[in-house]
Amino acid sequence: MVGALLLILTLAPLGAMLGCLALRAPRACERLNLAAAIVGLAAALPLPVAAFGRSYAFWDRYVLLDAIGAWTLLCTAVVYLLASIYAVGYMRLLDEDGRRLHRFYALFAGFAATMLCGPLMNNVGVYWIAIELTTLVSTFLVGFELGKESIEAAWKYIIVVSAGISLALLGTVLFYWAGSLVLGPTYDMTWSTLRAVAPKVDARLLDAAFLLVLIGYGTKAGLAPMHTWLPDAHSEGPAPVSAMLSGALLNTAMLGIARFLAVTDAAGGSALPRTVVVVFGVVSLLVAALFIVRQEGVKRLMAYSSVEHMGVLALGFGFGGPLGIAGALYHMFNHSLTKSLMFFGAGNAMRAYGSKDMSDIRALPRHYPVSGALWLAGAVAITGAPPFGLFLSELMILRAGFASPQAWAAIAMLVLLIVIFAGFLNHFRRMYFGEEEGRGAAPALRLGGWLTLPMWLALVPVAVLGVWWPQALWSFFHSVAAHP
Amino acid sequence: MLAAHLDPLAASLFSLLAIASLLLAFVMLGSRWLRDYLVAFTIESWLIALLSAAVAYYGGYRELYLVAVLTAAFRGVLLPYLLKRIIVRLNVDRELHLSLQPSSSLVIGALLVVFAFVVSTHLGARLGLAGTVAVLALTVMLSMKLIGFLMLAVRHEAISQILGLLVLENGIFLGSQILVPGMPLLLELVILFDLLVIVVCFGVLVRYLVAHVGSTSSRELRRLVG
Amino acid sequence: MRDILLQIAQVATVLALSPLLQGVIARWEERVQRSRGPSALQPYRDLWKLLHKEQVVPQTASWIYYVAPVVAFTCMLTVPILIPVLTDFPLPLSDMGDILGGGLVLALGSFAILLAGLDSGSAYGGIGSSRSVMVAILAEPTLILVFVGITLLAKAMLPFVVNHLLVRDPAAYWSPAHLFLILAFFVLLLTETDRLPIHSSTHIEVYMIEEARVLEYSGPLLALVKWASMMKQFILYIIFVNVLTLPWGLSHAGSAPGALAAAAALFLKMLAVGAVVVVVETAQSRLRFYRYQEPLAASFLLAVLAIVANQLS
Repeated sequence: MVGALLLILTLAPLGAMLGCLALRAPRACERLNLAAAIVGLAAALPLPVAAFGRSYAFWDRYVLLDAIGAWTLLCTAVVYLLASIYAVGYMRLLDEDGRRLHRFYALFAGFAATMLCGPLMNNVGVYWIAIELTTLVSTFLVGFELGKESIEAAWKYIIVVSAGISLALLGTVLFYWAGSLVLGPTYDMTWSTLRAVAPKVDARLLDAAFLLVLIGYGTKAGLAPMHTWLPDAHSEGPAPVSAMLSGALLNTAMLGIARFLAVTDAAGGSALPRTVVVVFGVVSLLVAALFIVRQEGVKRLMAYSSVEHMGVLALGFGFGGPLGIAGALYHMFNHSLTKSLMFFGAGNAMRAYGSKDMSDIRALPRHYPVSGALWLAGAVAITGAPPFGLFLSELMILRAGFASPQAWAAIAMLVLLIVIFAGFLNHFRRMYFGEEEGRGAAPALRLGGWLTLPMWLALVPVAVLGVWWPQALWSFFHSVAAHP
Repeated sequence: MLAAHLDPLAASLFSLLAIASLLLAFVMLGSRWLRDYLVAFTIESWLIALLSAAVAYYGGYRELYLVAVLTAAFRGVLLPYLLKRIIVRLNVDRELHLSLQPSSSLVIGALLVVFAFVVSTHLGARLGLAGTVAVLALTVMLSMKLIGFLMLAVRHEAISQILGLLVLENGIFLGSQILVPGMPLLLELVILFDLLVIVVCFGVLVRYLVAHVGSTSSRELRRLVG
Repeated sequence: MRDILLQIAQVATVLALSPLLQGVIARWEERVQRSRGPSALQPYRDLWKLLHKEQVVPQTASWIYYVAPVVAFTCMLTVPILIPVLTDFPLPLSDMGDILGGGLVLALGSFAILLAGLDSGSAYGGIGSSRSVMVAILAEPTLILVFVGITLLAKAMLPFVVNHLLVRDPAAYWSPAHLFLILAFFVLLLTETDRLPIHSSTHIEVYMIEEARVLEYSGPLLALVKWASMMKQFILYIIFVNVLTLPWGLSHAGSAPGALAAAAALFLKMLAVGAVVVVVETAQSRLRFYRYQEPLAASFLLAVLAIVANQLS
């Protein structure tokens, strides 16, 4: 049963990709992609329920479904659906004659397929290959508009991220070597095998290997100071692609870090891994805060907000314990939804006002009352204010932080979150309620249903989860923390 | 572990091949002409394939012969051919603007080798493997990684950056052949194919770079800041 | 007694054969470039001529002008005592200094000539001295590193021990550390003996390094200076050949026929290295001044790699 669900989950986007390559008609590709996304979400919804407390292995233990993987898959599937709905409207605006749209949807579906495969990989080396594949496919999505800035962003993305994850490969080889010192030259390197072997290996070797893996997958996840590709790639790609990158891909990379952290926890030898993860989290928050306060591009603002939230996730996983992990996982889901909402709103604003700079976007409530209100609500949500879900998750992570040995990091997180709150909402204040100095003509674009529906679909669950944290989710997160 | 119980002749053969690869990485670091760069990379790939075959012979890992042949075919023949085509199409011969003179990068590279050496001897001492070829493998692996990053940082040309990435991968492959020769065959094969896919993607991107940005030097890619 | 005679014979060999080496290399270079070239015995005739010429001293010269050539010549006579020239066992005064000591004495000789170049206050002397100091700054650390590498290879600082190790143990001879040291020392050899790519034995003022320093000298003092530089070349070749590259052919027992045969073998080995140097020099063009660092950086790198390779195997 679970196996069938997994097959549907991964084969649906793959089939959509092949279908889009075969058919050239843009409308057909749109519908194919949308269908694949709906099927994918339907297949992903039961997975956390099924993985509650137990894990499933398939295909000679190459495919594994455990609780944390199921949760990441759910986040990815949700973002895929929302982005697919949004893409229909957005890409019609972007590419009026639709000549290249079939390539876009093929790449889009392929990207979703590789991202959905990643959390399922049990073998650590194959997980690396899945991450590498996501990089390769998304590069062409980032550079899709074929302008000077897009190609520059795509080039920076592929160079920096490939160099980074080659470090992760080195770390993986060192982990394999550490295991081979105990288990002999050939063995299956799965996550559980590594956890079993870890206590018997010298702590220094594990520390070195973990550092390499952290820096490597941290490049992919957008932790500072390896985040340099992120603002460019997320701001230059089309808005649905940015939503997928921020909302789904970063989570998949963070999942790798969380799994390796579980391996070093099983060894229990040194406190270095956790400390380093926490330090990277604080540095990410600091860099994000500095760049958010003085930002000019609307999508770059959202990209730096992603850096901030990846820092918060790193802090959550670094603090550890049931509170930390629960907070981090809840944060993952809420962030995926809210960040998608923000990118959709940013895409709408960019198309309507014809510019990427926030100084050109003025008097939003007057021209777009409904979607403007949704976007503003999203802004309040993403900076961590109540009554939205991100507030609860950040509060949980702060509680975990104050109880952990790295309490200084929790204080730093608090201060930086306040700075980000002020800076981020200042930009929105200027866009919404600032004076209009007669800049050009008023925007004439009508935002259709395709462009606003995903914003509703994203905001409502975040608002609901902000006031109600279901008991079932609590037990689910506890099970993740207890059996990593 | 294979590296801990090698007879001296095998150990000197491994160390000779590993150090020759490191030397070629330095040749790449110190050269201005892209053609020299590519030739050094090709020879380095062949040396690594030879090392793989030697490990297969002395360790009795039959499947490593296949890996050696595929490495020679992919990294030694196919990748240089693809890169040569890109270079010819791009019509660039050498790095025109260097942010760091080749001699200075050679000296910095030597310092990086010393750093990698210190780290590896510490790790080797902790694991009880001091004085075996495992420490050499770790040193060469880490040094080639650091040299690859140095190349990525100081070079502007797109081809040089691609070659820097490939040197990174070569370093990991070299180290993994000596340290973990028993790694499952599937993994090694997929990583090899992965490299091919990466170079193809790079080829397409370089074509886009030339078409839309007008040059492949990263000095032209300065529009996105902040 | 026999050992003292052997030691004197070593110094005499260096004294007698160094101009011949210079002459042979000059002739072969011309031959390779298809011209006839001077006779191989020409440097002897030049030295003889200079010893009989009148000494012209600049007015601004001080006592250093007279002392420096003597100091340089004496240093070059001292170093053959320390290194294996004819025999492979240490002779009585050999433990006056080890490899590092020999290198420092050579540097003292060069330093004396440097001072002489500055002494008379002429512009060309200053240029020559400053340029040679620049090359020395780049070359000395590498030279020290190469000596450290040699020391680590043999685990002793005496050149005789290195020689024994390389003769006895083929594995040490063919080890990567040794091969890298040979390459590093070869680059240094080219630098210190003023061969291309850092050629400076021209009289064109833009290029000259060596000639500028001795521009003010004439007569017997010039003969001493020229002989000292030829001996320096010979000594460096001896170190390269007898300690590193071709350590065979030295007299084991120390008898007279053995010593003569060792001298002949030494000269043959010199010719071999000289042939390689001629080929290298003819195949290259001169580097621009600011690019002198490049071959020396490569040599530095090779020395570091040799040390690392030695520690790891």
